[in-house]
Amino acid sequence: MSRNNIKILPGALVCEESKLRGDITIGSGTIVHPSATIIAEAGPIIIGECCLIEEQVKIIHRLPFDQQNKENTTPVLIIGSHNVFEVDCTVESPKIGNNNVFESKCYVGNKVTVSNGCIIGAGCRVTEEQILKENIIIFGSKCQMREGLDRPGLQTLQMETLSKMIPNYHHIKKPNKKV
Amino acid sequence: MELRDINYNKSDYVETASGNKVCRQTVLCGSQNIVLQGKVIVQSEAIIRGDLANVKTGRFCIISKEAVLRPPYKKFSKGVAFFPLSMGDHVYVGERSVVNAAIVGNYVYIGKNCVIGRRCTLKDCCVIEDNTILAPETVVPPFARYGGSPGTQIGELPECQADLMVDFTKSYYQHFQPTKLI
Repeated sequence: MSRNNIKILPGALVCEESKLRGDITIGSGTIVHPSATIIAEAGPIIIGECCLIEEQVKIIHRLPFDQQNKENTTPVLIIGSHNVFEVDCTVESPKIGNNNVFESKCYVGNKVTVSNGCIIGAGCRVTEEQILKENIIIFGSKCQMREGLDRPGLQTLQMETLSKMIPNYHHIKKPNKKV
Repeated sequence: MELRDINYNKSDYVETASGNKVCRQTVLCGSQNIVLQGKVIVQSEAIIRGDLANVKTGRFCIISKEAVLRPPYKKFSKGVAFFPLSMGDHVYVGERSVVNAAIVGNYVYIGKNCVIGRRCTLKDCCVIEDNTILAPETVVPPFARYGGSPGTQIGELPECQADLMVDFTKSYYQHFQPTKLI
C-alpha cells in the first residue's frame, strides 16, 4: 500500500471526514465535503482550483486492465478547475478538463477522457472507450448524447456560501503547502 | 403478510427517549439542525446534512442504509440560499437514495437508488419506484406512482395508500429489534 501524501493548497476546504488515499494535490478554492472518497491507486491525482466534491463521491485513479502491466510510467490524473462532482458519483476517468458537471449517481469508466464543459447526467453510465468532446451532455435512461449550446454555469455562488458555512460545522484539514 | 424481524446489533444503535433509533455509523452533520420527531430509524452510513439547512422528519420515518438527505439550494442574484428539507410522517427512503427535495409529504415511499432532484415537492401518498431520477423542481402529485429517468408518472395508487404506508412503517419499526442474546 502506497504512502499517503496529501497536499492541500491554501484556500481549499477539505473536511476531516473525507477519505483520501495516495498522492493527492488539492488546489485552492476546492471544497471536499465529508465522506467523499479520493483514491490515487495508479499514480498521483492533481485537482485544480474551485472544484466542488460532494459527499459519497468516489474519484478513483485506476488504470484499465490491459495497461496495468506497463510498469515504466506512472500516469498522473489531472482534474481541471471548476468541476462539480455531485452526490454519489463515481469517476475513474484518466483525464478531466475544466467546467464539467458530474451529476448524482453517474458513473464514468476508466477509458473515458472528459474534455471541457461536459455534463454527465444523473444516473448515466459511461464506460465505452472514448473522448468526450467539449460541451457534450449525456442524459436520460439510455444515456443519449448531444452537444450543449453553452457551457454549464459556474457554481461560484454556491461555493461562496459553502465556504462560509462548512467551517462552522466541520473540522477542516489544514492547508500544508504554501504557494 | 407479517414482516420478518430485522435484527441489529444493540451496540451499533442509539435509542432516544422519543423512540428514534439512530445507527452510530451515520454521518449527521450539524446535528443541532436535525429534528427527528420520534420513532424514526436511521440506518448505517446514512448521511443527513443538517449543516446546510434545517432537516425535519415526521414520525415513523425510515432512512435506509447509505441514503442521503440533503437540503436543496436555490440561486438568487445575490447568492445561494439553502432551503430547509421537511419530511412528513410515515416516509420510507430506500437504500442509496439521494433526497434533495424541499418538501416530502406524508405516507411517501421512495425506492432504492433514486435521485430526487433539487427542490422537488413530493405530495402526500406518492410512490417513487427504484432507480428513478427526478429532475430538479419536479412536483409529484398525490396518489401518483413515478418511475424512469427522467421520472414520469407510470401509474396511480389506491385510496388506501395512506393506510398501507402506516401499516408498513409501523410494522417495520416494531420488527426492527436488537438481536437477542441467547
